[in-house]
Amino acid sequence: MSLPSAPLSDFMVKVVEVADSSQQKTLRGHEAPVLSVAFDPKDEFLASACCDGSVVVWDIEQQTQVISWPLLKKTNDVSNARSLCRLAFQPSSGKFLAVPVESKVHLYGRGSWDHAATLSDDLLSQPINVVSWSPCGQFLAAGAVGGSLTVWDVSSKLCVERQKHEKGFSVCSLAWHPSGRQLAYTDTEGCLGLLDGVNTSISAVDQAPTKKADKDFDDLFDDDDDQLMDEGLSDSRSPAQKRATRNEDDDEDDDFRIPSTGRVKNRGAILDDENSLDTASLKFGEDKPADEEDAGGPVGPAAPPLLPSRPVYEGPLPSLPQKAFQAGSTPAHLTHRFMMWNSVGIVRGYNDEQDNAIDVEFHDTAVHHAMHLTNSLGHTMADISQEAVLLACPSTEELASKLQCLHFSSWDTNKEWMVDMPKGEDVKALCLGQGWAAVATSALMVRLFSIGGIQREVFSLPGPAVCMAGHGEQLLIVYHRATGFDGDQALGVQLLQLSRRRKQILSGEPLPLSHKSYLSWLGFTAEGTPCFVDSEGVVRMLNRALANTWTPVCSTRDTCKSKSDHYWVVGVHENPQQLRCIPCKGSRYPPTLPRPAVAILPFKLPLCQTTTEKGQMEEQFWRSVLFHNHYSFLSASGFEVDEDAQTQSEKEKQELLMKMFALSCRLEREFRCVELAELMTQNVVTLAIRYASRSRRMALAQRLSEIAMEKAVQSQQEEPEEQEEDLQYCSVRRSSEFGEAGLAGGRRVSRHAQEEEPEKNGPQESEEEAQTNVNPFAKEAVSPVKQSVTPVGKVARANPFKVSATGKSSVSAQPRAANILDNMTSSRKSTPLSGPAAKTSKSPVLKPLAPRPKTKTQSTLLQMASSKAKKAEEDKEPDLQKQAEAPPPVSENQRPKTGFQLWLEENRKSITADSPDLDETEVIREAMGRFRVLSAEERLSWTERAKGQDGDAEGKKRKRPGEQQRGGAEETTAHESGAKKKKALESSSRLSAFAFNQN
Amino acid sequence: MDPSEVEFLAEKELVKIIPNFSLDKIYLIGGDLGPFNPGLPVDVPLWLALNFKQRQKCRIIPPDWMDVEKLEEIRELEKREEAFTPVPSPYYMELTKLLLNHASDNIPKADEIRTLVKDIWDTRIAKLRLSADSFISQQEAHAKLDNLTLMEINTIREFLLDSLNCMYKLRSNLQPGSSGRTFTDF
Repeated sequence: MSLPSAPLSDFMVKVVEVADSSQQKTLRGHEAPVLSVAFDPKDEFLASACCDGSVVVWDIEQQTQVISWPLLKKTNDVSNARSLCRLAFQPSSGKFLAVPVESKVHLYGRGSWDHAATLSDDLLSQPINVVSWSPCGQFLAAGAVGGSLTVWDVSSKLCVERQKHEKGFSVCSLAWHPSGRQLAYTDTEGCLGLLDGVNTSISAVDQAPTKKADKDFDDLFDDDDDQLMDEGLSDSRSPAQKRATRNEDDDEDDDFRIPSTGRVKNRGAILDDENSLDTASLKFGEDKPADEEDAGGPVGPAAPPLLPSRPVYEGPLPSLPQKAFQAGSTPAHLTHRFMMWNSVGIVRGYNDEQDNAIDVEFHDTAVHHAMHLTNSLGHTMADISQEAVLLACPSTEELASKLQCLHFSSWDTNKEWMVDMPKGEDVKALCLGQGWAAVATSALMVRLFSIGGIQREVFSLPGPAVCMAGHGEQLLIVYHRATGFDGDQALGVQLLQLSRRRKQILSGEPLPLSHKSYLSWLGFTAEGTPCFVDSEGVVRMLNRALANTWTPVCSTRDTCKSKSDHYWVVGVHENPQQLRCIPCKGSRYPPTLPRPAVAILPFKLPLCQTTTEKGQMEEQFWRSVLFHNHYSFLSASGFEVDEDAQTQSEKEKQELLMKMFALSCRLEREFRCVELAELMTQNVVTLAIRYASRSRRMALAQRLSEIAMEKAVQSQQEEPEEQEEDLQYCSVRRSSEFGEAGLAGGRRVSRHAQEEEPEKNGPQESEEEAQTNVNPFAKEAVSPVKQSVTPVGKVARANPFKVSATGKSSVSAQPRAANILDNMTSSRKSTPLSGPAAKTSKSPVLKPLAPRPKTKTQSTLLQMASSKAKKAEEDKEPDLQKQAEAPPPVSENQRPKTGFQLWLEENRKSITADSPDLDETEVIREAMGRFRVLSAEERLSWTERAKGQDGDAEGKKRKRPGEQQRGGAEETTAHESGAKKKKALESSSRLSAFAFNQN
Repeated sequence: MDPSEVEFLAEKELVKIIPNFSLDKIYLIGGDLGPFNPGLPVDVPLWLALNFKQRQKCRIIPPDWMDVEKLEEIRELEKREEAFTPVPSPYYMELTKLLLNHASDNIPKADEIRTLVKDIWDTRIAKLRLSADSFISQQEAHAKLDNLTLMEINTIREFLLDSLNCMYKLRSNLQPGSSGRTFTDF
């Protein structure tokens, strides 16, 4: 028999039978609103406290007052009462009735109704609001207005526990855990608290659950002690249920403050209440090992949490499959939520009493102006692209699931279309690509639509879809492959190419998620590489170069300050390398208000020993390799590629390799050097050979030259094909771009030209002027010179004419050597810049042998300048161009020759005699073969000879600046000390730029 | 110095904006700005931020300190302390005024912030007057005040200098021929 009684503000107490609200009993007699009522455990009596100051015991059957005590202060309303005066009968026997009277608790004996005892505490001065008996009836807890919590032992009338609420809020409700160890309370500010380890020395209650519960709670409440627990919790026996309750409470509690933020206290513990079922099971799986460990196996049976009655099963537990979601959206149950946040714009959904609406906003207002739609259909999913907004709603009882598309970029007047899904089929996930839209439905199908609304292909998925993403012509689908166990999700991924040649690139491979995590974001980088983020915050990117494997590129958790902070990813960019995300303090999702700001995180590959310089460089190199994969993909799929950026990235890679090479050289790791050389391009290998020979590692130089030769042959073979390909996608460069890179490059090259070809000073100066005219505000000192390998050196040398004056000091070593690299970069740079014309004009014979094009400095200077400041230069160009195309013979001699070249010169005749019908390329190939057959000593001698020549050439070259030095003031006696000496110094100092900087 | 000049100086302060257009880096005498990506926060000087805002080209993200709780804290501290407390920004008044006038829709609780900053300002100016008063009444030759902002100094400068000049004249008239104290050493 359950008899709830209702104290009413019309001064009566009504007792109602719950089962059939037939038997109503009304207890009249109070003269003011009733504060509280309490049943005695045997259902004979009812006690009530009233604002008129009386505490009355009623006989329920006879509806009469048994006794009345005038104990309290009189007030006229509940809101004015000093204390809530919650009464309580002792459980089970009902021997005592506890009545809070001011700061004391009176105990009245049942039946006799005489004042049996008074419980008080000296430290308790505020009125007591609420009293509560422990389940065993031995202890009485009281919560007072000032936030005091007191527990008395009733038999001894001694206070056994005193606690003070941290913030001093009034306690308005108390509940004991059935074990009697813990006390949950709430305060008037709406917080829920737990008093743990209440010092009650009862051992009657079974010890095991208590212990387990303690452990759980320690776990759960590690960071917030005074929060979150409610009365209901103390009844729920299963830990999982507790967690679920707790999670909901948690969210309710938070919603009170931040309406749209699902808050998660425990790391890895979870999703949000929307998923609280998943939550419970995921969490359970996670805790299980710990439980077993702690409690020693038998205590915590690993039964499925939600079905405690099932026979015990100790194997791995199936985890609940995660629900379908839109990447970049917050949970659907929130009243204000993001339905989509991507690189194009934001779709916000409002669903409260006043309004059910959708706001569409574009990051770039040039795409389209913001839109406000009324959401009469109840759309829950959205995607946004440069062309359209796609919305979908689940089916209701009458209406089918609908797909709505706002095709705002359409040029006709009809900018909207809508499609009904077949009966019983719900849209689960959707995405937009370029010119198409895709929808995954509950019928395990993917339906493709054109952006104008034509139905296209339909195909089946092997499992329920989880998420979809589109980019250009690529469609990425993640679905449930199977049931996951122990909190893991078993997801599969498909990547389809919807271009004219349809193909499936990934056909249902498992998606590699972190352990016990679920998918939280799926999408493409801005450049079109598939990418996903799991709930552990690990960002993984598809590595097309490594057989379509997934590489972790960033762990957002590492940058979080607190365990409960998360980053909500909104976009990934490969160039520049940016992970755009929204930092969420203490939650997984950002609230819509205040409007969150996007932060940028860097990428970092999880390589070993990234604290060492070697590790750092390796990480940089491989990251660079990974993040430039998209160039080859884009060009392969026929897109225009920004060649400037591509060469830039290529150069960056080679520079890193060269640095690593220098480092390995320093560390006497010659084998490693050779390994690195394998990764280099042929140009850089020649540089590496010079580095090795200058640092007197002949064996290494030898091996490297072999590699160089192999590469030369390779590149020769590839050359014709490459050229064809190049012509196919002739890139369009933005000629109007006065990018800083271009500027810096131009300036740098011109500086070279001044050093090495002083005779060219006239035109160059005018060119420099032209450059500065182009952008007078681009400050040389401020704009970082990105191109330079050793920026220190670059900055250190202000005057290019000082070179020879400072040539001897060790300081100048770096700047000198920077030249080499600059040459290397500029020589390569010139290739794409000069375009197909230059390529075809290049003699295929010379290329592999002399990697640097003729008169590199001049030509690059001109090409750089022309590419950058075409308009400004047009009038000055022609004569210079001529020079560039027909290089003066002097500079021709300057090109250093390799040993092979010398050998070739001498042996060419014999080769042509042997096989006269060979053309130039074949002659070289033949020669190469012959040269390789030569013994090592012979080859070495050739190399030595080549060096001798090279040195001479250089000597000649070096003399010139000395002779023609114009800055007379800078001329010192040191200058005349002879070209030879200078040369020796220079050669070593040049290379020291690569030196691994040890400090 | 005119208040408008102080305001002009304040316009060099950097604020974060979220542009809704895309533009490459721009090179100005004061330094390079950008690149501007729609939706990505970027630091620009206040004058540019306001210009963009007026053309509805961006949203301004208010500075960290422009937050009701933080300002309340500062206000309480300012009230409690005898001396001047450090202010969140050397141009807090100017920034508040400019941002609230032009971009109040981007700043949550703009009205409260306006009141709070005004409160802080009033408290500080009251302190300043009080210290000027005691400075003069105690006939001190010099005084040291920490944590004053340019705008605050500017408001009191004219009055203080004039009044000191006046007093000097009066005093030197009282004691003709004597060199007297110099009050004009600042």
